[in-house]
Amino acid sequence: MLPTLVIVALVAALAIVALLFFGIAPLSQSRWGRIALLVGIVAAPVLVSGGTLSTGFHQSSRTSFCLSCHEMQRYGASLFADNRAALSAVHYQNRFVDRDATCYSCHADYALFGDAKAKLNGLRHVWVHYFGKVPDAISLYQPYKSANCLHCHEDARRFIEAAPHRPILGALYAGTTGCFGCHTVAHDMKAAGEHKLWQAK
Amino acid sequence: MAGEVTVRVRSMRRAAVVAGAGLLVQLAGAFHWTPLTFIASAMVGLPLVGIGALLFLRAVFGIMKERGVL
Repeated sequence: MLPTLVIVALVAALAIVALLFFGIAPLSQSRWGRIALLVGIVAAPVLVSGGTLSTGFHQSSRTSFCLSCHEMQRYGASLFADNRAALSAVHYQNRFVDRDATCYSCHADYALFGDAKAKLNGLRHVWVHYFGKVPDAISLYQPYKSANCLHCHEDARRFIEAAPHRPILGALYAGTTGCFGCHTVAHDMKAAGEHKLWQAK
Repeated sequence: MAGEVTVRVRSMRRAAVVAGAGLLVQLAGAFHWTPLTFIASAMVGLPLVGIGALLFLRAVFGIMKERGVL
């Protein structure tokens, strides 16, 4: 559900449009009447719709939104995998990413059109969910970009000073070596499937 | 002239109905925000509001043109 404020704004805009519908004939005769109609039928609905879309975009980046499709629920469970080597679990459980935007934090490119690309891919997912066939094994459209990891880790002290990172820092920054060469488990689906999960106290 | 005004009023009413339908779609989606309702809201609700706004503006411009304001 979208925030109450958005729903109230939509109801108000709808009520104004409904009211003006019956008053169009007298209002259209005067200049101020036409201005009132312009505000009520054009400006208010357009503004409220813009606000709804903006809020909706924000809400569509939430973990609960991604997990609302059953295909993703196993991946949601993998966030709780009791495996300190599984990247998604480590990031989620240690709050390295915002828990309300866990999926989006790693699965949206931080490049200029990253958000738009993520939303377009989301459109494809919805299409496949309702009208296509969901593949048994879900995979990324392209290999995961280490640049997305470096977006947060690049200048983090813990990352720079980690002994295994030191000799390859240059290669990591240049993109000639990727994170997944060593960190091979992104989602521990086995642990998720076997319910070997970490329970927060 | 009166007939013309009626035509304009009718097109304004049509604009209000279309914009209202767009808001209604968005409102329905807002209560249960899922990938499908998000798409319905963005791809159906929003364009309907836009079309309603354009229809209304066309009617207003028509009135202004008739009255020689433009």
